[in-house]
Amino acid sequence: MSQDQTTYRPEGLTANRTLLTISIILSIVMMAPVAWLVGLSIKDNKELMLGTESVFAFPYTLVNYLNILYSSQAFGWFFNSLVVAVGQTIGVLVLSSLAGYAFARLEFPFRRTIFVIVLFGLAVPEQAVIIARHQMFNWFGLHNSYLGLILPDLSSAFGVFLMTQFFRAIPREIDEAALLDNASPLRIFWKVLLPLTLPAQATLGIFTFLHAWNDYWWPLISATKKEMFTLTIGIASSQTNFAQSEGLGFLSAQAVFASLPVLIVYVIFQRHIVTAVSGGAVK
Amino acid sequence: MAESYRRSQWSNGLFVLPYLAVFLVLLVFPLVWGAWLSLHKVDLFGPGRFVGLANYGRVLADPVFLQALRNTVVFVLVSVPSLVALGLFLALALNKTTRATSFLRALFFSSSVLSVTIVTLIWRFVFIPGDGLLAVISEQLGIAPVNFLSTSGWSLFSVGVATVWWCLGLPMMLFLAALQQIPSDLYEAAALDNAGPWRVLTRVTLPSIARTIMLVTIIQIVMQFQLFGQAQLMTNGGPNGTSRPLVMYIYEVGFVRWDVGKAAAASEFLFLIILVAAMAQYLVSTRKSEVSE
Amino acid sequence: MRRFLLSTAALVALACSAPAHAETKIELQRFFGACDADYGKVTDVSKAVGECGIITSLVNKFEAENPDIDVNVTTVEWPGYDQLNAQLASGAAPDVVSMHYSAISDYQSRGLIDPVDDILSAEGISPDSFTDAARGGVTKDGQMFGLPFDNWTMLFHINMNLMKQAGLVNADGTPILPKSADELIAQGKQFREKTGKPYLVQILANETAAYARILYTLLQQQKSDFFADPTKIKLDTPEARNAIELMKRIKDEGLSTTGLDYAAAVTAFTHGDGGIAVNGTWLIGDFVAQSEKDGTALAKGYAVYPVPQLYPGQDSTYADGHSWVLPHKDRTPEQTAAIGKLFKFLADNDYEWARTGHLPAVKAVFDKPEFKALPHRESIAKIAETGRSLPGAVQRQFAIQDIIGEEVGAAVNGDKSVDEALSSAESRINDLLANI
Repeated sequence: MSQDQTTYRPEGLTANRTLLTISIILSIVMMAPVAWLVGLSIKDNKELMLGTESVFAFPYTLVNYLNILYSSQAFGWFFNSLVVAVGQTIGVLVLSSLAGYAFARLEFPFRRTIFVIVLFGLAVPEQAVIIARHQMFNWFGLHNSYLGLILPDLSSAFGVFLMTQFFRAIPREIDEAALLDNASPLRIFWKVLLPLTLPAQATLGIFTFLHAWNDYWWPLISATKKEMFTLTIGIASSQTNFAQSEGLGFLSAQAVFASLPVLIVYVIFQRHIVTAVSGGAVK
Repeated sequence: MAESYRRSQWSNGLFVLPYLAVFLVLLVFPLVWGAWLSLHKVDLFGPGRFVGLANYGRVLADPVFLQALRNTVVFVLVSVPSLVALGLFLALALNKTTRATSFLRALFFSSSVLSVTIVTLIWRFVFIPGDGLLAVISEQLGIAPVNFLSTSGWSLFSVGVATVWWCLGLPMMLFLAALQQIPSDLYEAAALDNAGPWRVLTRVTLPSIARTIMLVTIIQIVMQFQLFGQAQLMTNGGPNGTSRPLVMYIYEVGFVRWDVGKAAAASEFLFLIILVAAMAQYLVSTRKSEVSE
Repeated sequence: MRRFLLSTAALVALACSAPAHAETKIELQRFFGACDADYGKVTDVSKAVGECGIITSLVNKFEAENPDIDVNVTTVEWPGYDQLNAQLASGAAPDVVSMHYSAISDYQSRGLIDPVDDILSAEGISPDSFTDAARGGVTKDGQMFGLPFDNWTMLFHINMNLMKQAGLVNADGTPILPKSADELIAQGKQFREKTGKPYLVQILANETAAYARILYTLLQQQKSDFFADPTKIKLDTPEARNAIELMKRIKDEGLSTTGLDYAAAVTAFTHGDGGIAVNGTWLIGDFVAQSEKDGTALAKGYAVYPVPQLYPGQDSTYADGHSWVLPHKDRTPEQTAAIGKLFKFLADNDYEWARTGHLPAVKAVFDKPEFKALPHRESIAKIAETGRSLPGAVQRQFAIQDIIGEEVGAAVNGDKSVDEALSSAESRINDLLANI
């Protein structure tokens, strides 16, 4: 059915060369803004002041990047983002796996009721609770701390929902076998089922990490000291009022610099991420 | 021991307990507390007084709220179908494993790992008048440049472009995954029937991933209703509030005007809207799958 | 392992506590932009140009002179009040914050900032040493709630090279400026015909402050008392209609740049894309520096004047100013002393700040020979008398400014009728003020 040996399977469209061509064009459109940003970042600010069309001509310079090295706080922001995103990811994975397992496999009083209530939590947007949360965290003195940044999204019901689905998808026979050995629920969870959910963990982990990494509103109002800024908030704090600020070149360089680490990690683990995200496709 | 597996036991609930505690303290309680706040005249800094439903009345009577609501609905109505259609298109186009396609997949997903502030920085540098990429290009082509970020209509459009660019990766990946799970015998059968590509697409591929389409739509609706950072950083809601989304309205009322009670009331409305949207989609998707099963 | 942990903990504790004895830390939060790349290490203030450069090097110099004090600067997005509100609400306010005079009453009336009288008197700074406008800006209920730093207004920054081309220069080399709304339109048309460029470079995009400041100016010039009652604005007036119709006419006749945001408007003026930039005092230093360079659009051709009196009522320009305030919090005596030193330093160096173009807050600066030698200060000297703020009791002036900017912007850009915009602005502002 197709010239393409690798793709007997699902694409089903033979006009796929056209589709591919269109996607290549789309990808160029998609990357143009990024190329523009990189271009701006390697131009001298003073030259850019005279007009940004100079991006298309020599000379180029790395001076903006050098400036970052000794004057930008991007390192600290990056570290904060990392701590928060990693902390939140671990937290969500632990809580969601435990709960997902119980909802999928164990019986306990009010199981269904609790599950429905938790599902209901899926529909609660952060915005509906953020103001009350901000006051609450104030009572406990949690603002401007890593804990204060990590905690709120641990309550997201998405992970629990996802893990419940995953545990349900594991064939019952696997735990039945373990049950014959008289294993406790904890043991079955830890030794038998959890290893099977690794792909699911990766998926949920990536979703959570990205969400935490990109979170904007909560850190904006909770991390109000610059030592606690996440990357998102730090970059936001320096991006307005260009004219009073460091200039397009420096801002661009800062943005490139700030995105590089995630992009590098992304490129290295790209294959895993792709399978993980795809694996996350809830059937 | 094995008994506990099947029989209902309190101890089994311990697995759920940690999450449940977090859920109650950090989600349910703030939800209730937010509702309580919405019944009070209260500013950011101190205790308020009970005013009943007055804040809700003030929100509904506020033309700025209604405008923000309209903006958000328009934004969702345009951005979600774009995301779903583009994501589906890319998934269909890239659904095979060659070097080129996996490179392209990676590329289309890469923007999703960026922070909202970097996304907006990139797109501001594209859209700003004078120095922006589009301004430079249109100057070269001799076209009168559009002031994207400050013209009614264009500003929300620009926010939408940045959003689609940023969020495209996830729908694409979810569709790709769904496409992989279509049993190949369906295609074999279609091939035996000599079905053309269009027929295969509409009769085999799309029906097989209908649930995923629904799921992606739900996720995107819920996500895009929460639009905030892009609008705040790119257009600050302007001009004349035409790109101010609901969440930004809540933020402004709460943190710029200090009117926490009114902000809480407005966020209850947002909650309600998202709840309804999600429920409606959920119902549709479950009914559909029942039919197909 | 445990020992390792313990010793690490001890080390960390040591490392953390050691500097606390040696240095007093002050958290200072300000707008004015970030420019660490250019000025991060500069302590020679005379080398700095512009608001950001001067304040950055001033703080550097203060730290160099006071090794026992560590000033930890946070730069916020202008004007930074959202963030300050979030900080105050979460009990994490910085020690010293930059604040407009027009915002002080919000925080003072809610007990969120502390009076500074004691700190000033401990450092021997007399309240009389400040200009009346500056002192009035920070004084509420008889107490000073901030260290005044400057006064500013909007100005006409003029590209004289283009004005010559347009034939709008007097024999003595001064620019010909309009004396009425009609003259403004006529001269604007003349300018456009002769130069092919817009007469005014205005900030009309992504902007609310500029619209509000111009509206206030035009209302004041017509003697419209739009805030007779500080809890109620009155915009449904012929004066307001005049003002907005003039702003709209300027735009409709093509006499102004359109679609430029703040940054683009500044750049456009330095590129010579228009004749007169309507912008604040703070840019004088930057523009003078540009005009001293050959080959720029402003080379040897920059002048600056107050916004001309366009209505017969009175000569007036909307004015505001910057100050340094102290959010309410517990401070150690060392910190209070350190803040006092910083205030003294800033007051003593008010001349350096005035190089930006702002009017000094400290009276003595006006008599300094260096200040008198600064270019263009003569031609704008009268704003000290003609500058007028909104009544000090008006609260939420920044929120009001946002509303006015949105509505007036809609009217000027033709998205709303003038009447619609005015009545909508009025009802939104009054709703805001009624619900404080």
